Formats: sequence, C-alpha cells, structure tokens
Amino acid sequence: MSFLQPILLAAIPLIGLPVLIHLVNQRRYQTLPWAAMIFLLAAHKLSRGFARLRQWLILAARTLVVAGLIFAFARPLASGWLGLAAGSRADTTIILLDRSPSMSTACSDGIGTKLDAGRHHLAETLEKLGSDHWVLIDSATAEPIDIQSPQDLLTAHQTGPVGASANLPAMLRTAYDYMQSNQTGRTDVWICSDMRSHDWDAESGQWPAIRQGFLDLPQSVRFYLLAFPEDPRENTSLRMTEVRRRETDQGATLVVSLDITRNENAAEPNMVPVEFDIEGARSVVQVEMNGRTHELKNHEIPLEASQIQGWGRVTIPADSNNLDNDFFFAFDKPQVRNTLLVTEEPHASRALQLAAEIATDAEIETSVEVNSPTQLSSTDWEDVGLVLWQAPLPSGKDAELLQTYVENEGRIILLPSRSPGTDSIFDFTWGSWQKTPEEVTVGNWRGDADLLAHTRSGSALPVGALQIHRLCGVAGEMTPLATLSSGDVLLGRLPTARGGVYVLASTAIDSDSSLATDGVVLYVMVQRALAAGCQRLCQVRQHVAGSLGGDSSGWERLTGSRLALSHQYAFHSGVFKTGERLLALNRSGAEDATRVLSEEQTDRLFAGLDWVRLDSQADERSSLVNEIWRLFLLVMLIALLAEAILCMPKVRLTPLPGGRALA
Amino acid sequence: MTLIRRRLKQEIQLATGTSARSFLDPAVLARLSAVPLFSRRPMQGSVSGRHSSRHRGSSVEFAEYRRYVQGDDLRRVDWRAFGRTERYYVKEFEADTNLRCCMVLDTSGSMEFGSRGITKIHYAKQLAGALAYLAVQQGDAVGLSCVAGTRVAELPPRRNPAHLSAIFDALEQAEPQGETQLGAMLHELAESVAQRALIVIFSDFFLPTDELRDCFEHLRFRKHDITVFQLLDPLELAFEFQRPMRFLDMEGGSSVFADPTEITDRYHQALATFLTEFKKMMLESRTDYHRVTIDTSYEKVFMNFLAGRHDSQGVR
Repeated sequence: MSFLQPILLAAIPLIGLPVLIHLVNQRRYQTLPWAAMIFLLAAHKLSRGFARLRQWLILAARTLVVAGLIFAFARPLASGWLGLAAGSRADTTIILLDRSPSMSTACSDGIGTKLDAGRHHLAETLEKLGSDHWVLIDSATAEPIDIQSPQDLLTAHQTGPVGASANLPAMLRTAYDYMQSNQTGRTDVWICSDMRSHDWDAESGQWPAIRQGFLDLPQSVRFYLLAFPEDPRENTSLRMTEVRRRETDQGATLVVSLDITRNENAAEPNMVPVEFDIEGARSVVQVEMNGRTHELKNHEIPLEASQIQGWGRVTIPADSNNLDNDFFFAFDKPQVRNTLLVTEEPHASRALQLAAEIATDAEIETSVEVNSPTQLSSTDWEDVGLVLWQAPLPSGKDAELLQTYVENEGRIILLPSRSPGTDSIFDFTWGSWQKTPEEVTVGNWRGDADLLAHTRSGSALPVGALQIHRLCGVAGEMTPLATLSSGDVLLGRLPTARGGVYVLASTAIDSDSSLATDGVVLYVMVQRALAAGCQRLCQVRQHVAGSLGGDSSGWERLTGSRLALSHQYAFHSGVFKTGERLLALNRSGAEDATRVLSEEQTDRLFAGLDWVRLDSQADERSSLVNEIWRLFLLVMLIALLAEAILCMPKVRLTPLPGGRALA
Repeated sequence: MTLIRRRLKQEIQLATGTSARSFLDPAVLARLSAVPLFSRRPMQGSVSGRHSSRHRGSSVEFAEYRRYVQGDDLRRVDWRAFGRTERYYVKEFEADTNLRCCMVLDTSGSMEFGSRGITKIHYAKQLAGALAYLAVQQGDAVGLSCVAGTRVAELPPRRNPAHLSAIFDALEQAEPQGETQLGAMLHELAESVAQRALIVIFSDFFLPTDELRDCFEHLRFRKHDITVFQLLDPLELAFEFQRPMRFLDMEGGSSVFADPTEITDRYHQALATFLTEFKKMMLESRTDYHRVTIDTSYEKVFMNFLAGRHDSQGVR
C-alpha cells in the first residue's frame, strides 16, 4: 500500500495516544477509602474478566479511530495488489515503455491496444503515486526523456507504437546509467511490456550485470512490471520473405514470396485477401488458409518494363494487431554479388570460392575475386559484398581497410590460415591449431538467427553432421553461433557496431573439417553472409525498423504510418527515400513469435531486486491503484460506534437496596 | 431517685458543657427521656425495676395460679378460688426488676466511613449515648464494649449515675481503626454476660453472614434480648460514581481499581444478597433489627426503637 501524503504517516505514533491517556487517567483516578469492601471485592471478582476484555476492546477501538484518521488523511492507495508499494513518494520515477509492434495488439473491447491500456494505466497510477521527477525511456530510442507529468504519456509522440522491437536489457541499462549519472534518490522503475521473449532476451549474458548494477546502487530502487502477457485474440500476420525484380521475355515482373501466419485463436479456413500496392497500383490475391501458416511462393506481379526501381506495400485485412498486417518493400534490378576471397593458398580455398560463386538463383549474378593479402590496395571495396579471409590477420593499413569496410556494413568471414600469426583485428586473435578428438562434433548452434538459422521451411541446417578434425583457437569477445561438444567455438560473430565479422575456427580443407564434403552448411553460410553484405550495394534496402539507429535526417516518407514524425522514421515501418536510396523498414521477424517470458524466467531476471509484477488485462480501463481513504474513514466510524457501544452505561436491572432506615 | 436525677443532670451538664461530648444533644436526650425503655423479654436484675422478671414477685400484675404446696405462705392462698373449687391455690404476681444493658460498639476501620458529613461511628456514638443515658435514668445498668481487632474498651454494666460519665468517656475516646473481630467478640460477650441482658450492637456488620449467624445463635442461646443497629451510609447503598475510582479498604491496606459502569450492578447484587440474608438471620434469631442509613435523624431511629420495644414488652 502506498500513500499520497506519506508525510502524515509520521503521525502514526499518535495511535498510542489512547493508551497513553488511559495510563495517565489510571494514575489520576481518585482514591476513595471504602468500607463495604466485601461487596466490592465480590463484584470485582465476578466482573473482572469481562471488564478487562471491555477495556481492551475500548482501547483497541480508540486506537483504531486514531489510526483510521491518520491513514485516511495520508490518502492511501490500493489496488488488486495490496501492498503494491511500500512507503514514500519516489524521488524519481523512470518509465520503460515497450512500443514494439506486439504492444499494438487490440484489446478485447476493440477500443485500444495494449500500449494504449499501458499508457492509460501508467498515467493514472503514476499521477496518484506522485514523484519529483518523471523520466521516460521508450523502446524505440532507449534514451531517457524528462516529462512534466505522467499525463504526458497519453500525448507524447515518444509513446506511440513503432515498428521497432524493444530491447528491455538495453532500456534497463539506460535506466541504470541515468540513475547513476543523475544520482537520483529513491527511484521507482515502471516497466510496461507484453513480456515477449525476444524483447526481453532472457538468455542474454547482460542480465547478471544489469541485476548486479542495480543491486550495487546506493539508492533504493523498486521495479514495477506492468505486464500484458495475454495472447491476442484472432490475429493474422504477414511477412514478405522475398521480393525481386525479374525480366523475362514477356516483360518485367516483381516476384514476391510471403508467409501468412495466424494464431490459434483465429477462425478456421478462410480466404485472406492479400493486397499489393506498388506505388499506387493495387492488386489483390485471395489466399486460402488451411492451417496456421501459408506460404505464397514466387507470386508474380507484372511491372512496367521501364520500372527498374520501386517500392510498395502488401496488406491483409485488419485484425487484433494492425502493425503485423503490413509489410513494406522496395525493389531494384538485381546487383552482382561480388565476393573477395583473400587467401595465401587459393587451392586450399577452392571450396570457399565455389560456395560464393554458385548463386542461389539463376537470375542472380555472382563473381569471386581471389586475391592475396598483399593485393588489398587494388580492390574496389565499394563493390564487394563479402570478404572471405583465409590468411594471417592483417595489420596496419590493411587492417584499417577492413575496418572501414565493415563500418560501411560489409561482411567478413575470417578463417585461419596454416600459420594464423599473432596479429589482431576487431580485438580478435587466432590461437594455435589443435587436433580435435574424433568423437567431438558440433554440440549446439543458433538456429533462430544469423548464418546458421533454420531454413524458411523451418528445417535445421545439418550442422550437427559436420566433422571437425582440426580447430584453430580463438581469442576475443564474440557471440558463439556454433560450438563443439568440447565447448570450443567453431563459428562466432565479433561485436561490431555495423556490418558483420564472423570467425570460422576451421577451414574447408578435408583434413580440417567436412565443411566442403558436407557442403550445405558452408554454402548456406557463405550465401547468407553474401546476401546480407550485398544489401549495402543495392539502391534499395530492406531493414528491420530501428536497426539503423535513430538518425533519419533527410529521409522522405513514401509510404508508412502517417503518425510517424520525421525524426523518428527509422523506428517506424514504411518505405523511405534517402538520397537516391530506398529504404523499406519492417518489424523484425521475432515480432511475429508470440512466445512470452514465463513467470519463472521473469523471477530469475529480477532475482534479488525489489520488484512487483502487476499483470493486467489490456482491456481494463480502471486504474491500477485507487484511493481508499473512504475505507479507512469507514473503519474509523465503525470503531467509533463500537467504542460508543462499549462505553454506554448499562441498564441497571438490579434495584438499589433500600436506602432508608427500616425500623 | 432524687439523687440519681441530680447526678444525671450533672452528667448531662458535664456532657453538654464540653465539646468532647459532641455526640450528645441535651435537647434530644430531654425529649427521649420521656419514653421508657422496655425489655422485650423478662430480665434477671439485681434490684427492683420496671422490667418484668423471670421470677414471681409482689407486683400488682397477676401472673398465674399455682397449687398450694407445703411451706407456702398462707396469706397468698386465694380463698375465693378455694370457695369455688375446694382446692388450695396460691395466687402469684409478676416480679419487676432492673435491666442490664450491654452495648457493643464496632470501632473497626469501616465505621469511619461517612459520605454525608457524618460517620457511622459518630452516629453509633449518638445512639449509644442516648441509650446509656435513658437506661441509667430509669435505673438500669449499662455497660459498653468497644471492639475492633480486639476488645478496645470494656465497661461492665453499672446502674450508678457516675458510671454514665465513664461510658461517655469511653465513647468519646473510641476511634475506628483496623479490622473488625466482631464475631469473636460477640462470642466472648455471650459467654461473659452470665445473666440475661439486653445486648445492643452498633455496627455495619460487613462480615460473612455465616460467621455472624453463629454469633447470634450463641447470644440467643444465652437468652439475651438482642438489638442490632446496622449502620449504613447512603453511598454504600447507592454506589453512585461517575468515573473509575480506586477504592481503598478502610480495614486494611488493599485497594481495588474499579469502573462503576462495570461493577455497580454486581455490587448491588452482592449487597442486596447480603442484606436479605442478614435480615433473614435477624428474624430467625428474633433479634430486634434496625437497618439505619446514617443520613436519618438518630432521634427518629431511637424513638422507633423505643416504640417498638414498648409494643413488644412483656413477652415471656
């Protein structure tokens, strides 16, 4: 329970006033010499038990009266979670608001979304709880913004829905940094989220550090988790998996592939009209849904022959979450996918060359340039989509070239040479070669994202079938993508601000591994890295909203949410033009996964911290907390009544003995 | 008698002339002296008086006929009866004798209580003083026992007018203190007073009734004429208090903290039970019982006492 006027709780000692007065009164009682003690003792003996009980009851009632009065004046707040907050008004209240697309799920009453309900709850609740400072950290920018009052949550543009996913660990880190740099006093941290697993990234190694950071703060911090974990009602989502322009003898067409997924609450088979809008030209395709997912593969939409570049939008009818009913795209003439293979032994890198040369589609043109490390200066880096580096790590100017390339969103896969050397790049160094025991296989790998992700059909890559005979040691911070059963990293991704640098700790030589003989894994890895790297070469790009940072200066919106402000375009889904380049921003694929954090996982994340979880229904419009001073006044009145009844003189049933002389 | 009256006058003058005799009011005594004090039962006095004796005597009041036995005085043979029955009967007459009055004054601490400007002990002294005066005035012997924890003062019955002064002095000096041992004292008195006497007890009798019953049975067994003045304060009866108080036992050091709103009913119950039982006990022991609240005029109480005895005199 919390109080709007907690200062008045300082008067709580007054509760003892009735007891004190009682004790003082006992001392002030008049003493009377009494003759008829024999009757008094008899009466006293008979009535002692009840009298004592009555005295206690009266004292209790009087104490309750004072307590009720004090608590009523302190304006207590209560909710379905009595004991919600303990104590005083917070010095600073930090609000972490999840604005991700999944928060746009509509309420059952159809009036608003989870985000609306969360903002509404927060505005009302925090207004009542009060605080000296209000800070908003929204999931899109993850930057602290001072707000004047909780009511700003209802109107501020930083609280609207966006296409970008939330990163709760990053938001908490921001909150921690804010508290540390501003030396806040007692701080309440309110987190409004739908508890989607991908937003929370419960397996992230950041959590222990975040937890420990908050625990080490000198000030008192309390977390309130306003959760909306319930599944959306009937919902269907749309995701475009491929879009490319193709020229045939009949003319140009746009080939699109898309997945339509509906949740288990959705109605059984129905026709879903899928509307394509290509720069204003609309067409509709009726898709019959027979299961939970449907894949529309290589659907062709005719284009004008002259339309080399363009953008569009694909839409399905509105349902409980409108943010996953759209997908935006842009297209261009396919680019040549150039790969730079840097090796000292070209024959040893032949498998790599083949993996890069063989395109996934006949219409995609590829090329591989094989160079030695000494020929880097002659390379045209602007055309390179992927660098396969199987040579000692570069140093000096060569290293700078690679770093610049990565900063320009290039992709590199580093493989060890026969003599890895001791140079380092991206804070990474090769170790020495080791022969692995025969029984060692790939123990686990990340199948949900990145190079080893499952195929579109959901099948896993045969990574487990790989045989690794020799492994080169790796030294440096990285995110493991595949590890051997011995715990050694086979494939990892180095941390970089942009682009991507991968480390493969073995080679495709038969004596080192079966990467070449079981070539599927190698081929998919290389092609995925190449496809991602070539994105930067295109005039059109597909990106996840929010992945490009917050800078959207100079952007022009071609289509997308009209509510988006220009400086926040990067967080919204839509198609934007920046210079000559088209950017299609969409929600991340993880947004379509409805898995939420379990209670056990949540408990683990906040273990040791002072936190309260407030599960709420999105369609609840009532405030999380209500003033309950009336209840205390009622208690006070009842106590007053009880005291009056207990103090009421009893009706004398026994007539007084005759007081006159009886002669 | 002249001498006695003169001495009495001197005593009264002595009593009213000094502040020490505060419990005596000459005017009241003068009014009371007009009413004789009678015994309800035949007395066994040493001299002639105005009370009936258990022995036959020479008064003018016929008592009974008795068959003549050898040795009887022939002058007392009723010849008229002989003429009617041809049998010899002796005519007997009542004997008059004086009264031995033993006053018992409870001087325990509880007698100090008084809520209306007068204490029970003072009231008892007024009654005892008046009774002593009246008895001596009509030639009866009066004694006084003051009892508290022990017998504080003991004056045997005397009919000498000078004895009255000693009684007044003893009354004057009687100060309430300590616990009462009235029960034990009454047993002693029953044993120590050999002849029939009028036993007058002034007390509040705040004792267990079982203990008191034995005392009165004992006195009754000794064929004494018992009179009881139970002195009660109006506040003791009403027990009217507005706020909790600490009650200090006047016969001991103990105290009780009580809230009148809680305890009054039960107090009244206990008091009513006691008074009912006490009255029943008085009836059973044929005691001349007077429950007196001390805000009543003692002259009126005393007059009622005398009148009651006048109505029941001669019961043998």
